[in-house]
Amino acid sequence: MSALKPLTKKPITHSQLVKYAGASGDFNPIHTVVPVAKEAGLPDVIAHGMLVMGMAGQALTTWFRPEQLKSFHVRFKKMTLPGESLTVKGFITEETDENVLIGEVVVVNEKDEKKLSGTFHIQM
Amino acid sequence: MGAIQNKVGIETKPFTFTVERGKVREFANAIGDDNPIYHDVAFAKKNGYGDLPVPPTFATVIDMWGGASFEDLIELLEVDPLKVLHGEQSYEYMKPIYAGDTITALMKVVDQKEKGSLTLFTLETLYRNERNENVLLARSVVIER
Repeated sequence: MSALKPLTKKPITHSQLVKYAGASGDFNPIHTVVPVAKEAGLPDVIAHGMLVMGMAGQALTTWFRPEQLKSFHVRFKKMTLPGESLTVKGFITEETDENVLIGEVVVVNEKDEKKLSGTFHIQM
Repeated sequence: MGAIQNKVGIETKPFTFTVERGKVREFANAIGDDNPIYHDVAFAKKNGYGDLPVPPTFATVIDMWGGASFEDLIELLEVDPLKVLHGEQSYEYMKPIYAGDTITALMKVVDQKEKGSLTLFTLETLYRNERNENVLLARSVVIER
């Protein structure tokens, strides 16, 4: 199993969630409006899962060219709050006879809590 | 709790979205991705791309801005927006998508199951470009808690 270079992101801010809401078009207020998040029983707004997957995607297309990416699958494990700083880690687990690399990706916070885990295929 | 209706087979109307360079840059900026291939057209072309390529999770922009917004999805599934979680997401990439492409997509509910007090919906979206080529297949699992 060979490790890829980890990508550490700046701490997530409320402003980044507003920016991501506008860019992606996902205006679920649970990501941007604190009173709504509290009404839903959360301590603060929560980051869009797709923002966290987007950070994993950033790492993937730093490691490889975008057109080499053939598939990308993730499971969301834990909510992410503003203030958390995430790190994307990747590993190549297998190389097939068809020159396809199979890899695993995880996103963790400073306490090593897993936010998402996933797999990907790269055509070499 | 009301009776949960089966949503399998329900689909959105086909929706269309033209990928603008500004939207690619805005999306990359929001993620904090400064890779020049998503920002600098000359750099992207010099490196063999037709125009700015889109980041791997850009399909969310096509959905939300093109026609399957969060509000539409809530209405389609008849779920409480404060109780919805994103469980899983997967993409199969068939052909590259570049700025300038016009993408047409259709989202449908392909599976629904109950797990204790949770309802899990699986949504599938196929994206085609203006040459009618399949470019991307997305699957998401949305959970109502």
